[in-house]
Amino acid sequence: MSAIGAGLAMLTALGAGFGMCMATAKAVESVARQPEASGKINSILLLGCALAESTAIYAFVVALVLAVK
Amino acid sequence: MLHIILLCVSAVCLAVGIIGIAFAKSSKTVGNDPKKAKKKKMLFTVLAVFGGWLLIGTLITMFSSIKAGMKIEFALFSESISLFGLPVAKTTLVSFVITGIVLILGIIFRLFIFPKFSLESPKGFQNVMELGVEAMENFAKDSLLDYSGQLAPYMFTLALFMILSAFTELFGLRAPTSDLTTTFAMGLITFVLINFYGIKKKGVGGRIKGMTKPTPLVFPMKILSDIAVPVSLACRLFGNMLGGMIVMDLLKSVLGGYASGIPAVAGLYFNLFHPVIQAYIFIILSMTFINEAIE
Repeated sequence: MSAIGAGLAMLTALGAGFGMCMATAKAVESVARQPEASGKINSILLLGCALAESTAIYAFVVALVLAVK
Repeated sequence: MLHIILLCVSAVCLAVGIIGIAFAKSSKTVGNDPKKAKKKKMLFTVLAVFGGWLLIGTLITMFSSIKAGMKIEFALFSESISLFGLPVAKTTLVSFVITGIVLILGIIFRLFIFPKFSLESPKGFQNVMELGVEAMENFAKDSLLDYSGQLAPYMFTLALFMILSAFTELFGLRAPTSDLTTTFAMGLITFVLINFYGIKKKGVGGRIKGMTKPTPLVFPMKILSDIAVPVSLACRLFGNMLGGMIVMDLLKSVLGGYASGIPAVAGLYFNLFHPVIQAYIFIILSMTFINEAIE
């Protein structure tokens, strides 16, 4: 039963992946428009991706807590 | 039976590959098309490498009890060993060792290498050190404002600790950063730094006032989000490092005796690139939160 819960918890990765894909798409667009600002965009993108990723990481930790018993 | 066949196949592959390389080397001048000869040599090299890998893997599977598809076991917290009667987690010991290495390296650099540096004509190793320190200072100046001089060395040390602790995974130990206690301690240090510098800059009244910025209604939420900072920092680093460790363990257990060579390539990402990115994210998030408090 807890295995099913762990699997369900990992569905959160869907949202995180979608968020990161949106951020990266916009970053690529803006670098294509303004190549000289790529350094600044890069650091902002990394920060945003880290924040978007954290939901997936929480889900991963919850899934681990459920799975490891 | 299967082992014998695999052994024969690998030996043939290795022999054909080595003979092919030697032959290609000797007939280099006679070769009609240099591009074609290069392609042929590469093919033989790949064959020889594959043969060697298969040979080593088969030999290991034959003469040891390592089997593919072993059940992997991992615990959320590292197992502890007894040290002078005190239970100490293994990851804590590893982190002590890393701290010791960093400390000894620092003392050696300070006492023996730095006095030899010259201000007029920097060269060699001095340039590398100056590049690193300068990059960190420029990096910290944007977000830490006046306190960059005090906090940049701490952030650099933190990054060094995180990257070095990820390297211990290469020796088969559990990395300290894949233990929740270590990452939570780091998150707590960041929490203390945020409040310390926030209060130092604005005073206690100013810090509380800053929390009721748009309306006093958001005060509880701001308190909650402040408490969530160390938790989120700790969980992020822990989850990422543990995820990397589990992927590597899975790879090793799936390959079994053939786990030579391939995990090294995967380790290039999971033990080298990934920790560097995570260390970067950890320190940049810490600096962003401190910036939020002192601005």
